[in-house]
Amino acid sequence: MKILIYSLFTVVLFSCSNVNTQSAFTGEVQKSNTAAVGTLSSESIYQLTDTFQTQDNKNVTLASFKGKPTVVAMIFTHCTYACPRLTADIKNIESKLKDENGKVNYVLVSFDADRDLPDTLKKYATSMGLDENWTLLHGDENVVRTLSVLLNVQFAKDAEGNFSHSNIISVLDKKGVLVFQKEGLGADAAETLNTIRQLF
Amino acid sequence: MKYFLTIFFVTVFFWASDAQKKAVVLSKEMVTVPAGNYQPFFISETNKPVQVKAFRMDEHAVTNLEFLEFVKANPQWQRSKVNRLFADTNYLRQWKSDLSIGESNKKIYNSPVVNVSWFAAQAYCQWKKKKLPTIAQWEFAAKGAPKNLKSPSLTEYILSWNAKPNPPFLPNVKSTYQNAYGLYDMYGLIWEWTSDFNSFIGSQDSRGNNEVDFKNFCAGGAINVADKTDYAGFLRFSFRSSLKGNYCIRNLGFRCAIDL
Repeated sequence: MKILIYSLFTVVLFSCSNVNTQSAFTGEVQKSNTAAVGTLSSESIYQLTDTFQTQDNKNVTLASFKGKPTVVAMIFTHCTYACPRLTADIKNIESKLKDENGKVNYVLVSFDADRDLPDTLKKYATSMGLDENWTLLHGDENVVRTLSVLLNVQFAKDAEGNFSHSNIISVLDKKGVLVFQKEGLGADAAETLNTIRQLF
Repeated sequence: MKYFLTIFFVTVFFWASDAQKKAVVLSKEMVTVPAGNYQPFFISETNKPVQVKAFRMDEHAVTNLEFLEFVKANPQWQRSKVNRLFADTNYLRQWKSDLSIGESNKKIYNSPVVNVSWFAAQAYCQWKKKKLPTIAQWEFAAKGAPKNLKSPSLTEYILSWNAKPNPPFLPNVKSTYQNAYGLYDMYGLIWEWTSDFNSFIGSQDSRGNNEVDFKNFCAGGAINVADKTDYAGFLRFSFRSSLKGNYCIRNLGFRCAIDL
């Protein structure tokens, strides 16, 4: 009898102790980075606790970009037209912020869970001349879809495995709250730059 | 010791039976939708017919009672606790409180749950070890021929439903028609979330904004539709493209699926 009671209480205690470390989204207990996420605002997309892989094959969560303003766009590397232009638009933003070198994260997330593995992303980073301020991310299909919903980016995979997608540059503040978005290629960067400068 | 145990079990018993007295959760069947070709609503050079593999789908939409079980098991999805990033202020507004649909809402216990966001729908399906259907899966499944439908055509039936205002109490699941795959209420009760609702459909308002459509010009979009008489299809696709993931809408619910 006592054993039964103890085991009941253990179950209850155990389930309570997990509450604070549950993901706000899936309810799954997080494996890492729990402390960082606990301090985030309820609007922060860094609450997503899914894991991505960088071009250097490191596992990261979005919360690892905390502390600096972050410029983020979604692309895929087999894309011949829009994505290199979108990447160039962000490089242009970076070049205008030369005095603030190292104070901004530049993040590209790939739509292409099948083909854009870390190696491919590394090659893309090299060929586009992206420096150490840039992180390129691979994520599972459902993780990428969730992020696209949070960033209001529409995309669809076609029969050839390519993607049609909206071209949006998003600016996140130091805590991961989406504060500004600019849609379109070759768009005027003035507003985007102003927004970023106000976030330091 | 026995005393404590008794209290414990009595508490558990009341906790389990109290909230929705006498309400019975309908048993939920899943049906198999066989493989087939789905012709995407919008056609382009690359948007060719999609081979949809056989999959399983809930025979009816997730009900308020079913969703209540989920909310009980996942407190972060209670109305007062849910994160605004994942559900707007209309989330579950038809319920009396966090853990009660309300006695006065008995009529909707077995009606589809609405005012749920995409994130909530995703989380529910994940909890059930299922997933939301894709647009291709949902649209393909919904093409199943209707049984016992009085309208002359499915499109006319859908449009007459679209033309009606929302009823004050949403009817129960399985209250409209069943289709050849055994699915209930694919049309005529609610709109339903899909996993890839935010798929790009080539808005002509943002010319030059994506790879596939960059050569298009003003109003070019209407040419590229599979069936120009499918007005109900236009409504569904434009509705989907107007949604954001945290939107909670009074006639938008969901059902789950499993890939085979």
